[in-house]
This record gives sequence, C-alpha cells and structure tokens, in this order.
Amino acid sequence: MNFHDHIDASLDGRLSPEEWAALQEAVVRDPELRREYVEKRWLHALLEAESERLPALLEEPSPPLETRVPSPFRPAAWLAAAATVALFGASLVFFFQSRPAPVVATLIEAENCRWAASDLPTVEGAGLSPGTLALAEGMATIRFHSGATVTLEAPSVIEVESAMKCRLVEGSVVADVPESAHGFTIDTAQMEVIDLGTRFGVTATPFGHSNVFVFEGEVKVKSGDAPEAQHVLAGKSLVSKVGAAPERTDQEVRRVEAPDASPGPGWTAVSTATGRGRDAYVRRGDSHGPTGAQALLMVKHTDLAPTNVRRAVLAFDLTGIDRAALRGAKLTLKIEPSGLGFSSLVPDSRFAVYGLVGEQAETWSEDTILWENAGPLVEETLSAATATRLAEFEIRKGSPNGLVETSSDALVEFLHSRPGEVVSLLIVRETGESDQQGLVHAFASKEHPTSPAPTLWLKTSGDQ
Amino acid sequence: MADSVQNTPSDPAERYLVLLNEHERALAAYVHALVPDRLDAEDILQSCKLTMWKQFAQFEPGTHFLAWARKIAFHQILNHRRSARRKPLYSAEPAFLEAVAAEIDRVSDSLADRSEALHDCLRRLPENQRRLVLLRYYEDHDIAAIAKETDRTEAAVYKLLSRVRAALNDCVKARLASSPA
Repeated sequence: MNFHDHIDASLDGRLSPEEWAALQEAVVRDPELRREYVEKRWLHALLEAESERLPALLEEPSPPLETRVPSPFRPAAWLAAAATVALFGASLVFFFQSRPAPVVATLIEAENCRWAASDLPTVEGAGLSPGTLALAEGMATIRFHSGATVTLEAPSVIEVESAMKCRLVEGSVVADVPESAHGFTIDTAQMEVIDLGTRFGVTATPFGHSNVFVFEGEVKVKSGDAPEAQHVLAGKSLVSKVGAAPERTDQEVRRVEAPDASPGPGWTAVSTATGRGRDAYVRRGDSHGPTGAQALLMVKHTDLAPTNVRRAVLAFDLTGIDRAALRGAKLTLKIEPSGLGFSSLVPDSRFAVYGLVGEQAETWSEDTILWENAGPLVEETLSAATATRLAEFEIRKGSPNGLVETSSDALVEFLHSRPGEVVSLLIVRETGESDQQGLVHAFASKEHPTSPAPTLWLKTSGDQ
Repeated sequence: MADSVQNTPSDPAERYLVLLNEHERALAAYVHALVPDRLDAEDILQSCKLTMWKQFAQFEPGTHFLAWARKIAFHQILNHRRSARRKPLYSAEPAFLEAVAAEIDRVSDSLADRSEALHDCLRRLPENQRRLVLLRYYEDHDIAAIAKETDRTEAAVYKLLSRVRAALNDCVKARLASSPA
C-alpha cells in the first residue's frame, strides 16, 4: 500500500474508513511516515486555519457573492477577532458563534487601529460577514464584494449588512463606489444614502444627526419623513437632524460633537460642579465609604452579584435659572472606562434617569451617602413618593468612551415643578448582564481631572 | 478577580490577549493538524480558547505559552472525540493522536516559522493554482465541486491539488533553509 498517496488523499477526504485506519496504524508504527504526515498535514492545517485570509494573501479580489456556494460552515476568523480585538480597556471579547454567515466584504486595511467590541474579525485581510465593527482609534478600509470601498475614521461604529449595504451607527466614513456597485447604500438613523456612481462621505453623531457630503458624482438621499429622495451633486452636502427633513448646508461636515460644546445660543449649562451641585454613587455592600470625592460615578445592575449593584445620584444647583421660561433640558454624561468587569458580558445597556421627589432630594450629602443610609433611593423598585422616572438612554455594548445625552418632556416638566433650587437625579442601570464579571459602567464626576462633569443643559430663551 | 481595583497594564485579560495574539495562528494550525474535520477543529479551537482563559491564572508567566496552550488543546481534542455528537468522516484513534502530537512537539521549532514562509510562497503561485487554493481552502469545496467548477476530472483536480501542496511545501522548506535563523 502506498501510504505517501494516502496522506494526500486523507487531506481531501478521499480515503475509505479502512484506508484511514490503515494509515493511522502506519503513522503510529513508522517514524519516517509520521514525519511526512506531520509535514503535509501542517501545511494543510495552516491553509485551513488561515483560510479567511487567503484572498488577501493571494492579492486577489474575493470572488463576488453570487459565485459563493453556501457551504455548511465557514470557518470564522473569530479567533483572530477575539485575539486582536480589544486591548481596549478591560473589554475582552469572546465570540462563540460557530456558524457565521457568508462573507460579504473584506477588511483590506487596518493600520494602527484599536477596536472596541466588534463582532467581526479585525485583522487585515479578514473576511467580513454581516455584523458590527467598532473602531476606537485609527482608520480602516473595508472592500465590499460589490466593489465599493468604505473607509472608517475612528471613532466609528458600522454594521455590515450585505455586499451592497451598510449602516453607519455613528462616526464617519468615506465611500468610493465603482460602476459595478452603483446603488451601494449607506444607512444612518436619519437617512439612506444611495450611491449613483461617486465618492462621498457620511457622518452620524451619537445624537442622531447625519451629514452627507459628495466629493464626486451624485448620490440620492432618502429620509423616513421626506416624501421623495433628494439628489446631491458633487461639492454639495446635506444635513439631517432628528425629527427634521434633510436640508442643504454650506457648513463643514459635522463629525462628532465636542463633549463640552454648547448646543447653541440660548442654552445654559449647569453641572454638578456648579454652586451646591454634587455627585456620588452608592454600592450595595460597599465598604469603602462615601464616594463623593471620586472621579468616577459607577453604575451597575446585576442579579448575579448583588453586592456589586451601584447607582449614581446627582444634584444640580439651578439658582439663577428662570425655570418658568424653561423650554428644553437635556442631561449629558461622559462615559469613562471603569476598569471593572468585561464589556463582552454585558449586552447593550439601558439606563433610566429618575428625578428625586422625596425628602432626600434636598438633603443627601455626598460626604456621607452610602447604600446603607440611602434608604428609599436604593429600593429595588423606586416608589412614586421617592422618585419619578424621567428619561432613559442606552449605551451600546463595548462603548467605553463617548458622551451620553438624554432629554425628555418629563425632564423639563420635572425641572419646572420642583420647588427647591437644588434638584437631584438618580441614574440606574435597568438591564443586567450574563455573568457577574460584567462591565461596571462609569461616568465622569465633577472630580474627574479631564472629562466634563454631569451637566444639565437648559434652554430658557423664548424661541424654538 | 471580583471587581479588581484598576485596569492596569498588568491586567490579566490584556496579558492573555497579547500572548494569544502572538500564538493563535500556531495554535490554530496545531488543532487543524490533529483534527481531520475542519468544522470540529473550529469548534475545538473555540472551547480551547475559553478553557485557556478560565485557566489562565494557572499559567506561569515566562514559561512557554504555546506549549501550555497545546496541552490544553490536546485535552480538548481527546474530550471532543469522546463527546462528539456527530461522527466525523475520519475519527482519529488516541494512539494516532498521541503519536502525531508528539511528532509536532518534536519538530515544533521547524514548524514555527512556516506560516510566514507560506504567505510568501502563496504569492508566487501561478494564477490557476491560486484559484485552486481558494476553491479548496477559502470556499471549502470538495474535489468533486472543484472538478465541476473548473471543468476538470476529479482525478485531474486531485493530482493538481497534490502538486500545489507539494510545491508549497518545497517552497516553504527552501525559504526556511535560506533564511538566516
């Protein structure tokens, strides 16, 4: 029997079970054959292990989607993903899905990139199936199998949907679309940008504003509210704000709103550092004493490790604000890495903002407040006599930085109706986690050396 | 490490990722080399990584990470063999697995640099052979499907594929021999 041929045949599944058994025995018996087997098998194993990178290694564009025969499995480049994904804060990301969807794009460039929790591989040359990429630092380029290339600038979060479509969650991208990919579409929360043969940039802020700027050619922009698509030609741009139809603009494309930028004329900022403002958090089972002087406000909800539950409480001094003329209000919080727990173990998280109405609203002190003396503030379900739920916000999985902004009519109403000059808000995470080592969320407090303190933005002027 | 105090550079997660990043390709090749079924190999790699992370506290810094990882992987492979719900086309006997694993350990130094060399060698393949490599390893087609796709007989595809692998192996060995160690 020729075992040399058997080795090759075994790599391609061409041996009968009997032949395979015979080969195994021979390999165990014969050191020379064993050497040969390991050498041939190793090459085969390398090709299998790095299969996702082969198109890039062979410097050949990946074949178009249509010719891909659905195969029973697609060896995920998840391993590379998990390995290279995040040396990013303490977020450690494991991906245990084992049957990824078909590859629709390739990550062709990822220089000097740091990635936040992405569920797609983040090594150069990796094949991308539908999923999310969150770029924290650097620039990365994706080539869709339609031929369109999209360059992401950090910080950006993009969802790859198909060879012809992606969604920009936030951040900014530039798309270069050849003729073969006309109709390539980038969605944002506010609009749908459809390519008509062009190079264009799209941005989306965390607050839902979107811009499109056309460098060359033409795009078509649809938005949920507008009855018909608008065409945008080279050199022109379009801005779309929450709840408003897209309009043309001469302004520079807005990337990310600066954390401490005023939202505009007529707005006044009151932070927890203003006047009698204060901020602190309480942790059930905390033995470290009051947290009023700490730089981070930590918030967590979990049923798995009850002593780690944390809530943050904020007080704002509204002295001098004409609250009768209040037209708008929003709360901003700067997200900071807490260094505690793994973000991979916490899904997208929902937080609620409560307004305190009980006695404690006025009297709590950041020098003394603890879980054990916080009384009604730390009850599992807050009673109506203690607090009113005013607003909520979400922090996506793996966003260790960024600014949270939340507003609601209830918040304005609450600020109107509260009698005292100092109002207090309570921040509660409402969603839990899948493991007790899940992430502790943190926000900059007024003691934070570089990041802005929790801030209430108040609009009191008559217009709008 | 319940709620450890600060995220320092000596964070275990970070240390683990650095080590894993350095050795993951070699580990992946190891598992693929010992597990004939590609799907099984991927599954095993996943559980292996989870186990490694769980046991990372037991890893002694400064010792050979890959050797430690291989030990864990080998156990996973044996466990998987026992618990496999799906009977793969080829299941490997424990004696065979041990013999092959021992041989890999023995020559591991010479296997270590093959990945880089292979990348260079792949780029030198003529066009039709590249296509074959893509069909077989990227698309994961079997011989019959490739034969259909490339309009060849199965025997011809099989022969060509063997030749491509032999050429790659020769190229890899030549590069390793010529490169200063």
